[in-house]
Amino acid sequence: MAFLEINNVSKKFGTTEAVSDFNLHVEKGELVSFLGPSGCGKTTTLRMVAGFEVPTGGRIVMDGRDITDLPPNQRDVGMVFQSYALFPNMTVAGNIGFGLKVMKKPAEEINQRVSEMLELINMPKYAERFPYQLSGGQQQRVALARALALRPEMLLLDEPLSALDAKIRVSLRAEIRSIQQKLGITAIYVTHDQEEALSLSDRVVVMNTGRMEQVGTPFEIYNFPTTSFVANFVGTLNTAEVEVTDPAGGLVGMDGVQFVSSDEHVKSRRKGDKVRISIRPERFSFVTEGEKENVVDCRIENITFLGSVVRIQMTIGNQKFNMDTFNRPSLALPEIGDQRQVTCSSKAVLVLKD
Amino acid sequence: MKKFNIWPWIILLIGMVYFFLPLIATFEFSLKMIKDRYTFEAYRVAFTDSKFFLNFGYSVLWAVLTMICSTLLVVPTAYWVHWKMPNARPYVEFVTLMPFVVPAVTLTYGLLSLYGSPPIVLIGSPILLIAGYIVLSLPYMFRAVDTGLRAIDVRTLTEAALSLGAGWGTILTQVIFPNLRVAILSGIFLTFAIVMGEFTFASLLSWPAFGPYLEEIGSMRAYTPQALSVVSFMLTWISIGLLQLIGRGRGQEQVAGAH
Ligand SMILES: Nc1ncnc2c1ncn2[C@@H]1O[C@H](COP(=O)(O)OP(=O)(O)OP(=O)(O)O)[C@@H](O)[C@H]1O
Ligand SMILES: [Mg+2]
Repeated sequence: MAFLEINNVSKKFGTTEAVSDFNLHVEKGELVSFLGPSGCGKTTTLRMVAGFEVPTGGRIVMDGRDITDLPPNQRDVGMVFQSYALFPNMTVAGNIGFGLKVMKKPAEEINQRVSEMLELINMPKYAERFPYQLSGGQQQRVALARALALRPEMLLLDEPLSALDAKIRVSLRAEIRSIQQKLGITAIYVTHDQEEALSLSDRVVVMNTGRMEQVGTPFEIYNFPTTSFVANFVGTLNTAEVEVTDPAGGLVGMDGVQFVSSDEHVKSRRKGDKVRISIRPERFSFVTEGEKENVVDCRIENITFLGSVVRIQMTIGNQKFNMDTFNRPSLALPEIGDQRQVTCSSKAVLVLKD
Repeated sequence: MKKFNIWPWIILLIGMVYFFLPLIATFEFSLKMIKDRYTFEAYRVAFTDSKFFLNFGYSVLWAVLTMICSTLLVVPTAYWVHWKMPNARPYVEFVTLMPFVVPAVTLTYGLLSLYGSPPIVLIGSPILLIAGYIVLSLPYMFRAVDTGLRAIDVRTLTEAALSLGAGWGTILTQVIFPNLRVAILSGIFLTFAIVMGEFTFASLLSWPAFGPYLEEIGSMRAYTPQALSVVSFMLTWISIGLLQLIGRGRGQEQVAGAH
């Protein structure tokens, strides 16, 4: 049995359905992230696990115990907030020790645990500082230590890095992940940043308008999106509507351009069916020699430098596509307006569910 | 360069004259009890009257009781409004403005007629007086505490404390009150100043207090009431001065509070 079970959970605020029919089983020690655009219900779902919202329907079971109606201060759950939410009137040590003090632990034990936690977040010298004397990143580490000080069964993080700048975000997310793995604590991590979700999760739940779109490992989510929403939200995927021209041969076409797909889902369609396909921008490349599959004509529309990657916008048929290629000094870039040929493998052409 | 604009200064000057002239005149008058000389005789007379200390003492007692009760009423209420019912805030604020809308005399007669006959008789106990004073203090207390609550993220702090296992008592005493200290202090200093000078409630409910005493002296003597007016002004100023001091000393105070 999974450690945390969220079964058919839904939440309505008045008439708006913030979360509907949410089903997820989280294994012990797993880090699952909720990924989705603003307003899709990530926070609401997390808050139901924390106990700050009561579901309108469904049950939440943790470690075999139904906690759906349990008040938040009786759940064994640590929480980290986007705004840090450190108690401004207490020192770092006071903040970290707060939960233990509430539980009336002896001072000896509190002190020991606090210094242990300060070691864990690499801030042993900061015990007597007040929150306003710390940087954002340090405050969030203290907030993490505070949430972990009680050794909760579960750690919930709601966009913990959103208020920080890009560099700190990357280093702190690695730190969070390593602490989570070291302690073997089960965690749910809410974010709207796909890179963050993909880089630190065991599994990712992609959400859209209160529904789960897809659940899978970062590898599955990135490489095999099953819906066009996931395809578009995770990475900048190219999607296009095409007509099945030869189901057995995996052939689809649009505007007189043919693609061959090795996706099983083409074979189950009939000739003339409309389907949506997706192709990752990095799967395209310019034709050099010998490629036979999916060689198509394109017109170069725009070229953007994204650091290590160059994104080339092009038109194939009447549709816009993106192609990403590594930015090497030897790269021979085309000019805008050039007519070129690009290619991609038949494995790169995926058929979406919707 | 910007041209020097004289008008704001002139207006400020007029305001200062309007405010300070009567005060200076009062002060000057209070020093003239003995003919042809400036002395503090009027103050000596005022401070040697045993009734002065009695009434003043009562007023301090009422003020302290009001400060305590008002804090215990307003802080949890304002906190709850912020945390659970933000939509109700304008209505609560409207209720707290009652003393600006309903005159004290009306309020007192209302209290007298409601609690003067069964089923609930409270006349003769100071509860009515304190209750009246609490109503008077509401606009100042509520606004101060409300501003204080806006400055901290009440909702998230409460949730953080809840997720760490804290109950409501702990949250109020260890998280909310300490972070509102400055706001509460500014509210209670104003309350103190108001209660010390209040006349209507104490007079109509027949309780000894500084306000009615001042009034009584005023009708009997010439110089002492002026002296007492000056004293009561000083008190208000000291309250406001302390308030400023506490408000400013906040940062250092927090650091000092660590040890
Ligand atoms: N207390 C509430 N009352 C009414 N509606 C709410 C409440 N909380 C959330 N909602 C609505 O529920 C929906 C989901 O909100 P939620 O906060 O879960 O989104 P989110 O995915 O966390 O978004 P973001 O990335 O912006 O934080 C939104 O449409 C929001 O307006
Ligand atoms: Mg959110």
